[in-house]
Amino acid sequence: MLRKISLKRALTYLSVGCAALAVSLLSPAHAQVKELKVGYMKNPIQEASVDIMEKWAKKNGVKLVKIPMAYSIFQEKVTATLTSGNDQFDVIWHNDDWGQLWIKWLARMDDVKGMDRVSKHPLDAFYDEDGKVSAVPMAHTVGTFFYRTDLVKPEEVPTTWAELVSVSQRLQKEGKVKWGYVGGMAMNNTWFSLWWTMWGNKCDIFMPMWERDNKKLNAAGWKPALTEPCTKEYVEFWWDALYTHKISPEAMTSYTRDEANAIFMAGDAAFTLVDSTHFGDFNSPKKSRIAGKVAMAPQPMGPRGEKPFAWNEIWGWGIPKGVPADRQKLAKEMLGAMLTDMEGQKAMWDATGGPPPSMDAWDILSKDDKVFADLKNAVFDQNIGTHSAYYFPAWPAVHKAYSDVMIGALKGKREDIPKAMAAGMDAVHKAANGGQ
Amino acid sequence: MGTPGPDKAPGKPGKSFALRWLALNEKTRFSLLLLAPSGIMLILFQIVPILIGANASFRDWSLYDPQRTWVGLQHYIYILTDPNFLYLVLPNTLLLMVSSVSIGLVLGLALAHMLNKHFFGHAIVQTVILLPLMVAPVIASMMMRWIFNDQFGVVAAVIGALGFGQIAWLSDRWPSFAIIVFTDVWLWTPWFTILLLAGLRSLPKEPYEAAAIDAASKWRVFTHVTLPMMRPIMAVCIVIRSIDCFRTFDQVWVISGGGPARQTEVFSIYAYTEAFVYLNFGRGTAAAIIGAIIIGTLGWGLYKLLNRFMEVSR
Repeated sequence: MLRKISLKRALTYLSVGCAALAVSLLSPAHAQVKELKVGYMKNPIQEASVDIMEKWAKKNGVKLVKIPMAYSIFQEKVTATLTSGNDQFDVIWHNDDWGQLWIKWLARMDDVKGMDRVSKHPLDAFYDEDGKVSAVPMAHTVGTFFYRTDLVKPEEVPTTWAELVSVSQRLQKEGKVKWGYVGGMAMNNTWFSLWWTMWGNKCDIFMPMWERDNKKLNAAGWKPALTEPCTKEYVEFWWDALYTHKISPEAMTSYTRDEANAIFMAGDAAFTLVDSTHFGDFNSPKKSRIAGKVAMAPQPMGPRGEKPFAWNEIWGWGIPKGVPADRQKLAKEMLGAMLTDMEGQKAMWDATGGPPPSMDAWDILSKDDKVFADLKNAVFDQNIGTHSAYYFPAWPAVHKAYSDVMIGALKGKREDIPKAMAAGMDAVHKAANGGQ
Repeated sequence: MGTPGPDKAPGKPGKSFALRWLALNEKTRFSLLLLAPSGIMLILFQIVPILIGANASFRDWSLYDPQRTWVGLQHYIYILTDPNFLYLVLPNTLLLMVSSVSIGLVLGLALAHMLNKHFFGHAIVQTVILLPLMVAPVIASMMMRWIFNDQFGVVAAVIGALGFGQIAWLSDRWPSFAIIVFTDVWLWTPWFTILLLAGLRSLPKEPYEAAAIDAASKWRVFTHVTLPMMRPIMAVCIVIRSIDCFRTFDQVWVISGGGPARQTEVFSIYAYTEAFVYLNFGRGTAAAIIGAIIIGTLGWGLYKLLNRFMEVSR
């Protein structure tokens, strides 16, 4: 009897509990808990930008859910999410490489507060046919040539490939470093070796060189520039760097920027080229043995170069169209707050070396920040003649096909490089044309 | 109220589901009811997605611009005539499967044999041997990538100390492939060990007693008594593990990404690249279906072969 009563009581409590839970979940008070989900890559600059947003979120009673993802799967994962139409993310990291790939699925951002105070050229990748933009800049990503100040005086910094080889070999011979130059070369890291030398030698992936107007490239049939003499020159430069001059490790063909950065930060190399956003890591005594001994300089030029090349792109934030209107509005409010938070942007620059998105922040930094002046000299005052990617949906496929051709050539014999380039023409062309 | 038509007559092909259901005996009905939840789950989460995928494989279905127009067998023809698929991806996949499964089996059998005997610290050794099973393949692969790093890796340090200089493990085809196989074997040998150990412990004692009376050597007992009795378990291990190994992804993706220049690309990387790098969902799905057909046929053939082999050895 007693057991029966207890069971009845327990069932009553359970029913009341469930009802209370249902009421609390459906009540207006619960609906007022605002939440925004941010999908991003674990990277100092992105974390710094998320910190600015989090500051706003705390002040405005918004819960910010952070969803970090690995770079190696980011584009694939987000593409799948966007095309499936679900609202897994309210805000996503957006990169110029994918500007046109995702344009259909992202909201337009022209109405975000502070968008009138950002640089327009780096946003080229994100415009639709109506001239509306699909990203809010988070930071500028600029390939920056870094050198060790304890090994090389500013006047000794290489300005040409030939000097890069000779200075590297001298330092190696003197036993000061194991390697002259390290940089990522494996797929998705091509900028940090092959590509900076490609553009630095007035070369490109497709003909006509340095053209980014898809209509003109289409008219030219997306013809790869692999068999051009300028290509042969930069591929041979890397082949020699790996096997003849040995200024770079042979395994560099498999390095991502993580491995290259690790070697540079261990003090085993004199030069590297990577996004300026890694400057913070290089100068962090907790992570780097060369903290305080790193400076920036213009990229060394190839034999055809007249002025050091540089690229100036952005990483940004996008909002999927599938996100409900009220959350889109809230997300835009948050991104506007990030874009107009000068204090936050300055802190981001100080912590990471990532040039802030707002020109107002640039004005502040230009006045009294020596490192920013160095970066301006190394990048923004140089020849920003083209973009460091092509802006069409097949770009990831082109990148992969190009990377396979180049790594294949660098693993072969030097005299076979022209043959490898000629053999790769079809693969790169097909990749640009959707595999056809 | 008319008489039932011929299609509703009991025992005829057209009879209703309810009548058929009632015609079953109670035990069969109970068994079918027990199986129903898993059957429904299987249909919803395995069969239906496969059918949707199969549908995509016959259509022009790029992830960024899904036209979904019918293209027939175009994707299948492309893949089956792609020299990379035929002469690089398939041989790599089969080589990985054969080497990983055979090495894993041999090592697993050796370890199981060792663990089947009692010795001091048995429990600790057994736990240590089983540790790799608890590590996610992606984590293990990242560990291996750094262990074999030419600058900082433990292996590089040992080889350097021995005076061999630095080896660019991950930038050449066969060293990278060897690391992938090594990682796969490291991850899966404990699985073989557990199953084979269970098998060894379930073997009858009489044949061993008979062998002892005949004064057979340990090796002879192993080859003529243990191995023949273990064959059914080994066959199951080989079939399951071969199918699993055919679709290996994490180890290859993390360690080499299929490089250098696609030289270590296996079937799953090929399908993934087509679908998520080239964003051609139709072609990626076609590749996956071709792979499924290959492994299905291979698994079936392997099972038949091993079955026949076991029958003969009895």
